[in-house]
Amino acid sequence: MSDSLLTGIDDAQVLDANIALPYTLTTGRAAGTFLAGLGDKRILASRCDTCARTMTPAQDYCNRCGEPSGEFLSMPETGTVTAITRTESVTLALIRIDGSDTDLMHRLSSGGPAADVGTRVRAVWADTPTQSMLDLDCFTPDDSGAEPGTPSPTGDIEPITEIPYAIDLAYRHSYGPHYGRLFDELATRRRILGSKCPQCRNVLVPPREFCDICFVRTAQHVDVADTGVLQAFSIIHMEFVGQTRKPPYVYAEIVLDGSATRLIHTVGGHDVDTLKERLSIGMPVRAVWKDAADTRGTLDDIDHFAPVFEQLP
Amino acid sequence: MRNVAIVGAGQTHHARRRTDVSQIGLAREAVTRALEDAELTMDDIDSVVVCTGPVLFAAVNQPEKWLVDAIGARLKPVVRVTSGGGTGLAGALAAVNQVRAGFADRVLVVAYDKLSEGALQYSISTLYDPFWGREFAVGIMGFSAAYWRARIDALGHSEEAAAQVAVKNRKNAMLNPYAHVKKPVTVEDVLNSRPLCWPIKLLDVPPISDGACAVVLASEDAAKTATDPAWIRGMAYYSEAENAAHRSMVQSEPLTIAAGRVYQQAGITNPRRQVDVVEVQEPYTCFELSYYEGLGLCAPGGAADLISSGATEMDGDIPVNPSGGCMGANPIGATALIRLAEIAQQVRGRAGDHQISDARTGLMQAGGGWANLRGVAVVSNTKG
Repeated sequence: MSDSLLTGIDDAQVLDANIALPYTLTTGRAAGTFLAGLGDKRILASRCDTCARTMTPAQDYCNRCGEPSGEFLSMPETGTVTAITRTESVTLALIRIDGSDTDLMHRLSSGGPAADVGTRVRAVWADTPTQSMLDLDCFTPDDSGAEPGTPSPTGDIEPITEIPYAIDLAYRHSYGPHYGRLFDELATRRRILGSKCPQCRNVLVPPREFCDICFVRTAQHVDVADTGVLQAFSIIHMEFVGQTRKPPYVYAEIVLDGSATRLIHTVGGHDVDTLKERLSIGMPVRAVWKDAADTRGTLDDIDHFAPVFEQLP
Repeated sequence: MRNVAIVGAGQTHHARRRTDVSQIGLAREAVTRALEDAELTMDDIDSVVVCTGPVLFAAVNQPEKWLVDAIGARLKPVVRVTSGGGTGLAGALAAVNQVRAGFADRVLVVAYDKLSEGALQYSISTLYDPFWGREFAVGIMGFSAAYWRARIDALGHSEEAAAQVAVKNRKNAMLNPYAHVKKPVTVEDVLNSRPLCWPIKLLDVPPISDGACAVVLASEDAAKTATDPAWIRGMAYYSEAENAAHRSMVQSEPLTIAAGRVYQQAGITNPRRQVDVVEVQEPYTCFELSYYEGLGLCAPGGAADLISSGATEMDGDIPVNPSGGCMGANPIGATALIRLAEIAQQVRGRAGDHQISDARTGLMQAGGGWANLRGVAVVSNTKG
């Protein structure tokens, strides 16, 4: 393996991939009540009657004994910094709200007086609530010298039960020597590459370093045909997030001629009803490539596999 | 090897969406029920195994750390085991081994997923190699349907036979207080239901559920105080290479190996005769047919006849999924542990309305990944 593969990630050697997913999270009673409280400019804690401890933010279960929490308490807006860390963009602190037995993590105001462990702070509220932790915008040093506040009972608070959420994750997958060569060959020669096991003589697609069964190092790369047989197929009617083709279409697992593994693709070239009727397991298929101008060096350069009906006895 | 018993089990009321609890609240509900069933408290528990499906299902990484507070597991050993749909069984096996090795006398296994929170099929599509196949990924359903289509030709697992599985399991779910779908269907309803990934149709598919299950495992000494322990007579979980040469999914090799190993451990030579009740994890109806053969309840190619004969009905000679199986509820990360809990409750005589009379030996199957992980367990009301 060349040094460049070990030391750096260069754009030609990585696949940029993205996973973006929507969620609807369920808060549970305590977190939902806490978030509703923030919208009302109140910091809510929960009380464990067994341990006689107050937890801020409110928790459904005591983090010491595991028993369900009792009543919620409306906490003072003031507290003391117990730990602090600074990054380029934000100063984060653990804050012991007055009357609480646990710390709340939040950010400190930027540009104000310096804070440190032991600094007295007070809450700064956001102008417009968004049902998030940031309805409490930040904490800022409080030099008023006021006495620490005390918790008080809350009235009835309707919890927020659901919170929309999303993740959007960018990945850069390194091709490595085998996948790198595979996709280079696809892009430049429209050939599909496998690797041959010196022991069982099977050709494995996609090519890989070791034979999965013999666990010996594969000996050489070999070209496989762009024709094969249908090992399994189904007809996709369902639509779902992240789908790249419009239903209905035929999902297929194909064993390319000269190889012994399965390739995942689609079968097309006919309407779906015809395919449902006429496709059978073991039927020959051949790759139908997209226009050369559209080559991207991925499996998607094959538009679909077409069944070879006429070869059937 | 030390004997290990299940001394308590509990599960949540499963639902499409449990808005009343967070993920940890859901898990806690099952833990509370399992501890009550075992007549124990968290103080009696030496170690905890947490099981969930892929974290993309619910957007919480390392959820076991969140769970520690919620179940009172502070300062106990806590590990998380994950293995797709077989997660609950993989976790139970880890717990069994903790007891066998003498590391713990009582282990709590808690398994859950709150599938209403995320985009399920897309999350599952990320199981594919990002370079190879993800472009055409159809969750797990397109893949499962493709190999069912292959088994229709090879083994006669017809759409009608699979529809009979749906009818049976959905009928059985009517008797299960924890099931989330309780609606009987007919063979015609199933055959006429909307194709999703043909041959898989809407009524071949289990619901998507929020749910949790918990089980308490105990050493032989610790089980002495239990009134009706269910003894683990064998348990195994095997894998095959995902895209090795000549991989056939017509019969599941890892299932055959797991069943063989477990039957040897449990002294079972004829499962059809020696087992009283079976629970299988059928993510789609077609898989139950496949498991009949993989578990040796009938010969290869005999599954369609077996379901048609009524033998796997509640009153048949080898009842399969009296709980309703996944058709009643399918919180993926919990599903395998639910199967284990169900056979344990059967041999303990605690299965309620879906109790099989005189059940003494129970068999369960579960699996995950790309159909390449398969596990089996046998429990009995005697140590053997």
